Amino acid sequence: MRLTDLPSTTSFRLSVLFLALFGVSSFLFFGFLFWQTTTYLNNYIDERLERDSRIYTLRDVPEVVQRMRTHAQRDPNNWRPFGIFDASGRYIAGNLTTLPQRPVRFGENFEFRLRWGGHAAPFRGIAYRLETGDILFFSENVDAVHAFQDLLLKAMAWGGILVLAIGLAGAVITGLGAVRQIIGITGAIERIVTGDLAKRLPTQSGAGDLDRLVHVVNGMLDDIERLMREVKGVTDDIAHDLRTPLTRLLGGLERARRRTTSTEEYAIAVDEAIAETKAVLGTFSALLRIAEVEDGARRAGFTTIDLGRISADVVEFHAPVAEESGVSLSFDTDAPGLTQMSGDPSLMFEAISNLVDNAIKFSPAGGCVGVRTFFYQDRIGVAVSDNGPGIPYHEREAVLRRFHRLEKSRHTPGSGLGLSLVAAVAKLHGLTLMFDSAYPGSCVTLEREPAEQSSTSATSSISPEGVEQEVHAISSGA
Amino acid sequence: MTRVLVVEDDTQTAAEIAAALGDHGFDVECAACGQDALDRAVVDRYAAIVLDRMLPGGVDGLTVLSSLRGLGVDAPVLILSALSAVDERVRGLRAGGDDYLTKPFESLELTARIEVLLRRRAVPDRETMLRVGDLEVDLLKREVRRSGRAIDLLPREYRLLEYLLRHPGQVITRTMLFEEVWSYRYDQRTNVIDVHMGKLRRKLDDGGLPSMIQTVRGSGYILRAAD
Repeated sequence: MRLTDLPSTTSFRLSVLFLALFGVSSFLFFGFLFWQTTTYLNNYIDERLERDSRIYTLRDVPEVVQRMRTHAQRDPNNWRPFGIFDASGRYIAGNLTTLPQRPVRFGENFEFRLRWGGHAAPFRGIAYRLETGDILFFSENVDAVHAFQDLLLKAMAWGGILVLAIGLAGAVITGLGAVRQIIGITGAIERIVTGDLAKRLPTQSGAGDLDRLVHVVNGMLDDIERLMREVKGVTDDIAHDLRTPLTRLLGGLERARRRTTSTEEYAIAVDEAIAETKAVLGTFSALLRIAEVEDGARRAGFTTIDLGRISADVVEFHAPVAEESGVSLSFDTDAPGLTQMSGDPSLMFEAISNLVDNAIKFSPAGGCVGVRTFFYQDRIGVAVSDNGPGIPYHEREAVLRRFHRLEKSRHTPGSGLGLSLVAAVAKLHGLTLMFDSAYPGSCVTLEREPAEQSSTSATSSISPEGVEQEVHAISSGA
Repeated sequence: MTRVLVVEDDTQTAAEIAAALGDHGFDVECAACGQDALDRAVVDRYAAIVLDRMLPGGVDGLTVLSSLRGLGVDAPVLILSALSAVDERVRGLRAGGDDYLTKPFESLELTARIEVLLRRRAVPDRETMLRVGDLEVDLLKREVRRSGRAIDLLPREYRLLEYLLRHPGQVITRTMLFEEVWSYRYDQRTNVIDVHMGKLRRKLDDGGLPSMIQTVRGSGYILRAAD
């Protein structure tokens, strides 16, 4: 966009449009004012001429002549030329020696110019034909009226020019401002398109429409940048986390080709390679699964589930592992049968199972892991607490990212995808995922407000048999 | 030989399934579209059918399945699908499917499930006493004995053993155990089921008896009479 594009900017066009509208309305207003003033002044003069002359028409000619001579002496500047002429237009009396050149209409006011006292001046006059055929003529100098009209016209012209100049200047200034901002925005967009995602559209200090739009777009750009950074982070993490097992796989296969001599050794090498490949595939499956859960497509399979029942199953499932690691694992609920909600039983089991698995993994021998479901103040949820090392406060956002693993857990097995899945499942079920410190250890809570559960539906859904039937119906095919 | 019909439009997947089933001694035939599958399954008697959920040519997997059931073909059907949502699975089973496997799957998982489907038809469910070698379970009293000695099992261990006893000599994958015994469905990637099986195995083999539960490299177990 160049400065030559100024006339095509909306703000310039708008300014010019308003300038034109203002100009036309001002012109009409001034025209009306001019017309009214002129009419008023002319009428005033005409009325006076008529009033003064009317007296003469009622008198005899000799008396008129006599009066005119007297009057002529009283008006030495000849502001009001008058005279009486015979029917052929010859001068009889008065301070006007010849009738004006233009044809005279009797009993009607008219305007004419007269060389008088050395220069031409405008006059308004009126003529009467007496019964004797003589012509009476009266007039008045209207120089002052014309001067006033000239003044009005000049004021209008100068005002118009001034308004036009200021308006055009204003239009150019606003247009230039818009052009400059649009040039800035275009430049910023071009840089964003070429990959500079940190660039933002420039804003003016004002709170104009364009600025509001720019603010919205900048907000969107913030989101896009964050998402791109997340995607890039995930891509980097995938590349990094998959390189290790793939390198091990390659190394194992190369070693097998170099050193292996017997069929048994080959079989062992192949088995190792299969195990590594399975681990890589497992990571991909977990990623796809998180994506699937995040898509929300699983919501179609929601049934009524009981958090308490699922949590009890999870605890029972993990009990032998906890026992082996010397960790005490317990389940507790203060609201048996009241923790019902709509959800996918398998996903919920998997999410709680991931939390319990983590808690057992990070608890020291002799530690204890507690799973508790609760229903209080219209909130239902499940909390998994342990007395392990806990999650540092500044890491709480980060642990939800795919592949994120705390530094001290790098040596333990796991893909770093567990909590991402928990977060995805929680979001799908409208649950809030919270981390609290349990001094020592941590407490992870999934909780939600029951969705308009009336007292009747609560009592009818207390019996767990319904849930059990649901679960069995879903998995009766194996 | 046991004949299995594989209905799968993707030739590469079909070839892999055929190879895996072939390795386990099945005689495999392939159909690439729903109409072809219907024509073949009605004429020939297959022992089992592996059916892809999505098929080209207007006749999709579920239509094939309900048509077959309508025509009185009662061969066990395992549905393959890329759709893992719970209601998809329920829909598949309601249409007359016997099992449902989500793609991608491991060949061991597929063959183990086919074996179980075939054997389920062979062994009636009404037994009250299950016996494998010197191990016997009284289903009514819920009593487990090995070589006459009573074994005390936790409820979950009992259900694991019962499921294995109903399919003796067959590979049972961890996923199958998880689905059948815990009634939840997802790809269990932890070693928790191995720990459960380890405890069960220790209880069964207590007293220096030879092990009855063998681990299959990869992802499963077999219950066999001890030699």
